[in-house]
Amino acid sequence: MPDKGHKYGEGGESMIQKLEAKKMVITGDHAAAYAALLADVEVVAAYPITPQTLIVEDFATFVDDGITDAEFIMVESEHSAMSAVIGSEAAGARSFTATSSQGLALMHEMLPIASGLHLPIVMPVVNRTVAAPIGIWCEYNDMMPQRDTGWMQMYSEDNQEVLDMVIMGYKIAENHDVLLPIMMGLDAFILSHTVEPVEAPSSDEVADFLPPYKPIAVLDPDNPMAIGTFTPPEYIQELRYQTHRCMKNARKVIYDVTKEFASKFGRNYHGLIEEYETDDAEVILITMGTVTGTARDVVDAYRKQGKKVGLIKLRFFRPFPAEELRKALQNAEVIGVFDRAVSYGVGGPAWIDVKSALYGFDKPVLNFLAGIGGRDIVRGDVEKMFDIMLDAKNGKAKKEIVWINTRGVEE
Amino acid sequence: MYEFRFHGRGGQGGRMAAEALALAAFLEGKYAVSFPFFGAERRGAPVRAFTRIDDKKIRTKTQIYEPDAVIVLDESLLETEDVLEGLKDDGVIIINTQRKPEEIELSREVRCATVDATSIALDVLGKAITNTAILGAIAKATGEVGIDSIEKAIIEKFGARLGKEAGEKNAKAARVAYESTVVGKSKGGKQFEPKPQWLPTVDELPLGGSIGTMETYAGLVGIGSFIENKTGGWRVFMPVVNDDKCIGCKICWFYCPEAAIKMVDKGAKTKKAVINYDYCKGCGICANECPTKAISMEREVKA
Ligand code: SF4
Ligand code: SF4
Repeated sequence: MPDKGHKYGEGGESMIQKLEAKKMVITGDHAAAYAALLADVEVVAAYPITPQTLIVEDFATFVDDGITDAEFIMVESEHSAMSAVIGSEAAGARSFTATSSQGLALMHEMLPIASGLHLPIVMPVVNRTVAAPIGIWCEYNDMMPQRDTGWMQMYSEDNQEVLDMVIMGYKIAENHDVLLPIMMGLDAFILSHTVEPVEAPSSDEVADFLPPYKPIAVLDPDNPMAIGTFTPPEYIQELRYQTHRCMKNARKVIYDVTKEFASKFGRNYHGLIEEYETDDAEVILITMGTVTGTARDVVDAYRKQGKKVGLIKLRFFRPFPAEELRKALQNAEVIGVFDRAVSYGVGGPAWIDVKSALYGFDKPVLNFLAGIGGRDIVRGDVEKMFDIMLDAKNGKAKKEIVWINTRGVEE
Repeated sequence: MYEFRFHGRGGQGGRMAAEALALAAFLEGKYAVSFPFFGAERRGAPVRAFTRIDDKKIRTKTQIYEPDAVIVLDESLLETEDVLEGLKDDGVIIINTQRKPEEIELSREVRCATVDATSIALDVLGKAITNTAILGAIAKATGEVGIDSIEKAIIEKFGARLGKEAGEKNAKAARVAYESTVVGKSKGGKQFEPKPQWLPTVDELPLGGSIGTMETYAGLVGIGSFIENKTGGWRVFMPVVNDDKCIGCKICWFYCPEAAIKMVDKGAKTKKAVINYDYCKGCGICANECPTKAISMEREVKA
């Protein structure tokens, strides 16, 4: 932990130079790195992996250019990267890391330690397919298996959301009713390597929105403390309940933080889900990540043709917005869930949770698997999802789980 | 919405050009997005980059299949693939070449702009880096962005990387190109052999994708398919070994990423490095590593 800086988050010196508000045309990776800078992180430890590499490179450049005094720890693996930020966060330093795919898989062992110790680490994950076979393109089978590690997880639609979510992420995670780490997915290449306009607030505005980190327990040689020690069955069950409660608390905090962010920065993310044209919608598609943008265009076009379609962007996967979905979907006749990963032999992970949330609803909940392994999800694919739902409304649902654009598999 | 597709070779800076174009549009108050070919870029391999420009926020995240403009940074690509694929009928192609539009033979007769970006770059920058000059030609041929914003975008983007002076020189290259771009019509009728892609169904694909050498309608796939898929066509510069200087140290053999070098007994004291031009992709690593400077990179003359 650096000697200088806001030690234990109690409002010491800032790590960064003053940064003016500006509009940039940048990649999702750069947006993530720049947001970490704005969030005034004190420690970064990361190991490069395609397509997350630019995040690490960009942050290393900020350190090298003297824009921040943050400690940049070079590690030999993602397992060590997570171990290092667990250590620094436990020492009271706001910490940041980023990874992707196999890197996240390698971190897996350390993830429940971060959440179990209630360390609010923020970690962008560039969503990339996990081997075998090896690929570098987008799939959610890296983050989905981390569902039960006690980390919050959300997925971004564009680079602006990536930047905004890293800043909001610290505020949500560090809230004392939550104190859980958060990973935020950004689609490999579709966001990580694509430049688009992004508005960055000034460092003063961010500092005003995001107060210094106030940890509840700190590793400090002057005030010794035991954390994460050997714990017998008399205690673990209660500790698990604590984490369960923190995750449930997070829902309200996410609403509060997105609301405050909206009033301050003018960009409203509406909390755990965002509804688009759902008011009188007969069929509603639930989307995640970048396919949302394409689907918004399809909804607009279908609306012009008089088709009553809408979409819900599932921003947060943990905590899972079960109540919000029940409310938003109560008048829909057919529901579709997009998934970019599969729980083998069952269906898409988002679909499984949506179905469970909608228990007791008597209406078809279809699952659309698409874009797996980075296959481009073209407009026609999204149109097909809506067409199948519209057919199902007229009683013509052929299949519950539809593999979109998969050769040799009937749709 | 207006969509651009850049064709170049890995290392030629097509991606930087596509991004600078997006920045130029953004500086004019428009919304713009740019993305590279999604994948690992290999030096010398044909690569693509894309830009989308619109007056309102661009939400769609699909790749680009029917561009309004196609930009070709490397003329040699005109021979190997149909760069017009998907180009809208009223679209335009912009080519870095010494030839005039009417001298260019393409698969269709289309609006065509040509500019000698290589000579301009050599003249203004002292280097054959054409990705900034070509931006001037794009401004001229499409009118989608003004040359002033192109210059500003280049200064901002390339200046940040290479320093202010280099940024300004690159902006000048774009201006010179803008002024010398010729817009006309290409010739059509050039035939391209269709290159089928192997697209097996779930049942045709071996379990887990584990494949030996497999004969398919699209040619060989799997291990050994490089018998057909030669990387020699990627070359812009070719390595030439001077046997008098080669001491047979094998350093080039060790470093070559394509394993395109063999050590051959030519009757001298030591074996000599011999390059297999079917697979040498022209990366120049061997020339760089050779301790005796026995390998020189020479401009490839394509038949
Ligand atoms: S240029 Fe040299 S190192 Fe590169 S592929 Fe050719 S022989 Fe190999
Ligand atoms: S590195 Fe140079 S000297 Fe050594 S074998 Fe190759 S060509 Fe010959």
